[in-house]
Amino acid sequence: MQGPLIDTLVRQGVSRRSFMKYCATLASLMALPPAAGRAMAQAMAAARRPSVIWLPFQECTGCTESITRSHSPSLEGMIFDMVSLDYQETLMAAAGHQAEEALEKAIEDNKGQFLLIIDGSVATGLDGAYSCIAGRTNLDLLKHVAPHAAAIVAVGSCAAFGGIPKAKPNPTGAVAVSDIIKDKPIVNVPGCPPIPVVMTGVLAHFLTFGSLPELDRLGRPKAFYGETIHDRCYRRPFYDQGKFAKTFDDEGARKGWCLFELGCKGPVTYNACATVKWNAGTSWPVEGGHGCLGCSEPDFWDGGGFYKALSMPADPLKMAATAAVVGAAAGVAASFANRAKKGGAKAAHETVTLADLEK
Amino acid sequence: MSASLQKGINALKEVIDAPVASYFSSCVHCGLCAEACLFYVETGDPKYTPIHKLEPLRRVYEQEYTLLGRLAKMVGLSKPVTDDELESWKELVYDSCTMCGRCSMVCPVGNDIVYMVRKLREGMAVSGHAPDGIKGATKRTVEIGGPMGLKWPAVANVIKKAEAATGEAINVDKPGADYLVLLSSMEIVNYPEYLEALVKIFRKAGLTFTLASDAFEATNAGIQIGASDIAKVIVSRIVNSAEKLGVKYVLSPECGHAYMAIRWEGPNLIGRPYKFEVVHVLELLDDLRKKGVLKVKDKFKDPLILHDPCQIVRRGGVLDAPEPLIQSVAENYIPVVDKQKWNWCCGGGGGASAIHTEEAEALRAKAFGIKKRQIEQAGVGTMVTFCANCRIVIEEAFDHYGMNTQLLGLTELLAEHLED
Repeated sequence: MQGPLIDTLVRQGVSRRSFMKYCATLASLMALPPAAGRAMAQAMAAARRPSVIWLPFQECTGCTESITRSHSPSLEGMIFDMVSLDYQETLMAAAGHQAEEALEKAIEDNKGQFLLIIDGSVATGLDGAYSCIAGRTNLDLLKHVAPHAAAIVAVGSCAAFGGIPKAKPNPTGAVAVSDIIKDKPIVNVPGCPPIPVVMTGVLAHFLTFGSLPELDRLGRPKAFYGETIHDRCYRRPFYDQGKFAKTFDDEGARKGWCLFELGCKGPVTYNACATVKWNAGTSWPVEGGHGCLGCSEPDFWDGGGFYKALSMPADPLKMAATAAVVGAAAGVAASFANRAKKGGAKAAHETVTLADLEK
Repeated sequence: MSASLQKGINALKEVIDAPVASYFSSCVHCGLCAEACLFYVETGDPKYTPIHKLEPLRRVYEQEYTLLGRLAKMVGLSKPVTDDELESWKELVYDSCTMCGRCSMVCPVGNDIVYMVRKLREGMAVSGHAPDGIKGATKRTVEIGGPMGLKWPAVANVIKKAEAATGEAINVDKPGADYLVLLSSMEIVNYPEYLEALVKIFRKAGLTFTLASDAFEATNAGIQIGASDIAKVIVSRIVNSAEKLGVKYVLSPECGHAYMAIRWEGPNLIGRPYKFEVVHVLELLDDLRKKGVLKVKDKFKDPLILHDPCQIVRRGGVLDAPEPLIQSVAENYIPVVDKQKWNWCCGGGGGASAIHTEEAEALRAKAFGIKKRQIEQAGVGTMVTFCANCRIVIEEAFDHYGMNTQLLGLTELLAEHLED
């Protein structure tokens, strides 16, 4: 596909008006000034398509699915038409040596300018032998491609933080992209999977302003990960009133009360689900009646159980058992010591007579 | 540490139990007990705050039974209890505490302060820090038979007079009677009309009673001084005699601390339940009133107020008998604001009335101010009560203040107005 993006979109039945609306929405989502929406539309519509290389590592393809098939045909999916997706194993028609040649060519043609998208964690155990493509380990491939990229976007919790492959006991020695690559700008777009619009928002920003959006301490775009699920949750008023669902089928659950006590991780999870929602704004987990799993936070899988309220200790069994044993032992020891003392006092008791009343 | 102090500390270690531990741990230092104590209210001196009176006991508890207290004692942050300290605490534990239990009732966390005062007295008594007056009373009770040093002939004399006045023979040491009647020394000496009243009332009710020549004294100075071993000896006289005579009931006289001793402390002292029931004379009277046995021929006309003795009403649990009884015999009964369980003590309970030092008597007179105001506010010339000890303390106070108020015993008042 050649020519400006807008032509492609029009060919696919997307009107200019809806494209402008999309850009304005995207700009406001990212907390950019209103003028940015126009700038974004102009830039994207006329964009020379930058080269994008997408490397899948230890992943489940869920992130790719999320972005390309969230709803069909999706603006997000079609936005991908604005980039020259030169290498994407799941989507590309080429296979075998042809595919590998395409990769080398894309690197060679766009040295220092292409955007490197990575989904999946990097296996480091056994020198990375747990995950190989065309006989090369992911680790090797990453070290080969990354130095030539303009920036890296780590899509999904696996690439951003290690994700499920890194969950205990982490047999493959999985790590995040940022653990390997230290000298390139990296944007983390965590989530299992991430919200599609977050992905396209980052791309739009890169295309419009030629830079990456503002990031938080975990490398996440602040525009989407600036607030907790809890703070923007429509069930928040129930939390403030102390109204909680205690089970998934009680009165509170039916009335849509706060799911905190059922283990909702909303209060510690930074993501945009509560505002952007999923499936073209249809719904999102909490609206569906299930607490947030905290999938966009590091090590969410090892957080101590999805149905345990946040106020519970992360590893209650070990801690509680130890505390109980120590406490009980101390209690028993103190009680024996005090009993012995009182027993001693009893034993030392001499029957009080009148003579004792005089000093 | 002197041998007597050693004994005292040992006694405190012995009496500290789970309730004491929880009371000291849960005290929030709110000071509400101060406002409940007549000695604090009348003097305004914070040293009379009830929980403060327990300071030596609290320190022994902390130093012996808590980890922090042990550490503090080890490094010298918490000073050990000394003889001098206990001596200086004598005033707080005996002179200014009548064990009236008002503090226990108001405590918002439910600390039974009077329960702990009773325990602290165990250590005070055995370390030789009890007041001489109570020591003397205890000695006389053990050696002679009663706190005032009365012997059986004095009782026999009262019996003779009552027989003459009522024309009825009074049983002595008679097995199988319904009731064993106990007296307090004060009734024998100061209020002999109590026995006459009982004769009349029992005749009306068709019940029989006996006195026991080896157990006529109901009061127990051993409890007031805080020596359970001695208290056990004293209460055992009554228990043995009552069980030997095979009576169904033992009738406690009006005296409040006697009732507390025989009804509530006794079984704990001897370590088993009685084979008889203890009844306070007011409980019996109220029962007879309900059955319609007690019919009055006329009523007492002058306006009067009632003084509820602490040990019978608040601590003894005879809550509902006094008021209907007084209403049945008095035309102009005026209820006071702090009545029944909220009553203020006369100021001389718990052995305090046996302490005759100048300071103790002055403090007692001062503490009586609250009762004096009650009488003045009600504007009455008569007060009725049902505790021999209260009567003595109140009459002494009337003398002290030169008051013209008349003081009556409830049982006698009833007997006087009974149908013939």
